[in-house]
Amino acid sequence: MDKQQEIILSRSGKNWLLFKIYFLTSLFTFTGGLAMISVLKREIVDKYKLMEEKDFYNYAAISQTLPGVIAINNACFVGKKINGYSGMFIAALSAILPAFIFMLIATVLYALLPKDGPIYFALSAIRAISAAFIFSAALTIAKHNLKSIINILMAIFCFACTIFGLLGALELIVIAVVIGLYTAFRTRKKVVGDNA
Amino acid sequence: MILKLILMFLKVGFLGFGGGYAMLTLIYAEGSKLGLTIDQFADLNVLDVLIPGPIAINSATYVGYLFAGLLGSVVATITVSTPSFVLIPTMIRFEDKIKENRYLNETLQSVKAAAVGLIGGVGVIMVLENAFGISNLKEIFDAKINIFLIIITIVGWILHDKYKINPILLTIGAGIIGYITFYI
Repeated sequence: MDKQQEIILSRSGKNWLLFKIYFLTSLFTFTGGLAMISVLKREIVDKYKLMEEKDFYNYAAISQTLPGVIAINNACFVGKKINGYSGMFIAALSAILPAFIFMLIATVLYALLPKDGPIYFALSAIRAISAAFIFSAALTIAKHNLKSIINILMAIFCFACTIFGLLGALELIVIAVVIGLYTAFRTRKKVVGDNA
Repeated sequence: MILKLILMFLKVGFLGFGGGYAMLTLIYAEGSKLGLTIDQFADLNVLDVLIPGPIAINSATYVGYLFAGLLGSVVATITVSTPSFVLIPTMIRFEDKIKENRYLNETLQSVKAAAVGLIGGVGVIMVLENAFGISNLKEIFDAKINIFLIIITIVGWILHDKYKINPILLTIGAGIIGYITFYI
């Protein structure tokens, strides 16, 4: 009886920890992604020892491979491993909540903001700087990923289609998925052929 | 509208390989079909930088609110997270195989390459709309060029990329400079 209670307590204790870790990490990291991984590793592996370092990095890598929001993939993966389905939902919701609440407040304020006179000029300048952030995001991904000719061609093709308004992002991503699958299929055939 | 939002963010979620900025281009493309303007998208991008949390969650909240108020923001945020809730429990059994899976990895590489072009292209469209007053390159002859805004983009890019200046400071700085130019 006592033992049973201890297990229940420790399960809810784990959920409480997951909530705390993911809520605070989401609250204090901007734009998500890689910045989150190092903070999460420190909390989950070093501080609370909920998981081995090797496993954590393994799950982090898989979270980036699958479609979906990377931070939420990570929360689901780690939460499920540590505490089953309840851990999964708690961790994911805790990662979503701060981002949702603060963005909602910001959006409501933004919608109320009058957009004329000097404010319009301020907004135009801010929109100009946001294009700068977009360019530097594109450049960062390019540095890490454009390693083969086909990938460089893919990037140029998508760029041209977008600036001339020829094809939408959805269609282009579907094309990219198909080309990716085809490349994998071709290299696989080659590997099989070499072995034979 | 709620149904359209759900459909849109399901597409964004399940095709959203490769992180927040790759998803943003999908959000712009699919959102513009529902009436999202490039100015609203540019403002979203600013808020993403200013507000903590994953970009995709922030964006879903914003777009959902613009189209369908509070309910829309809740629905869009939950919908964009749905792929994780569906895929992770089903994939967790294959955790050892996923990382080495050639199909998944090649797809990811290919989509990330596409994302570079898409993100760069959306950046160019933002500049065209903001500083040239046109919505794509085909209309280049109707452009009314605003040199001041182009300079802000270029200087901002250099400060952000080369000198690693905090984007929040840059945003505030740009806002103040813009505000002052109204009076000059």
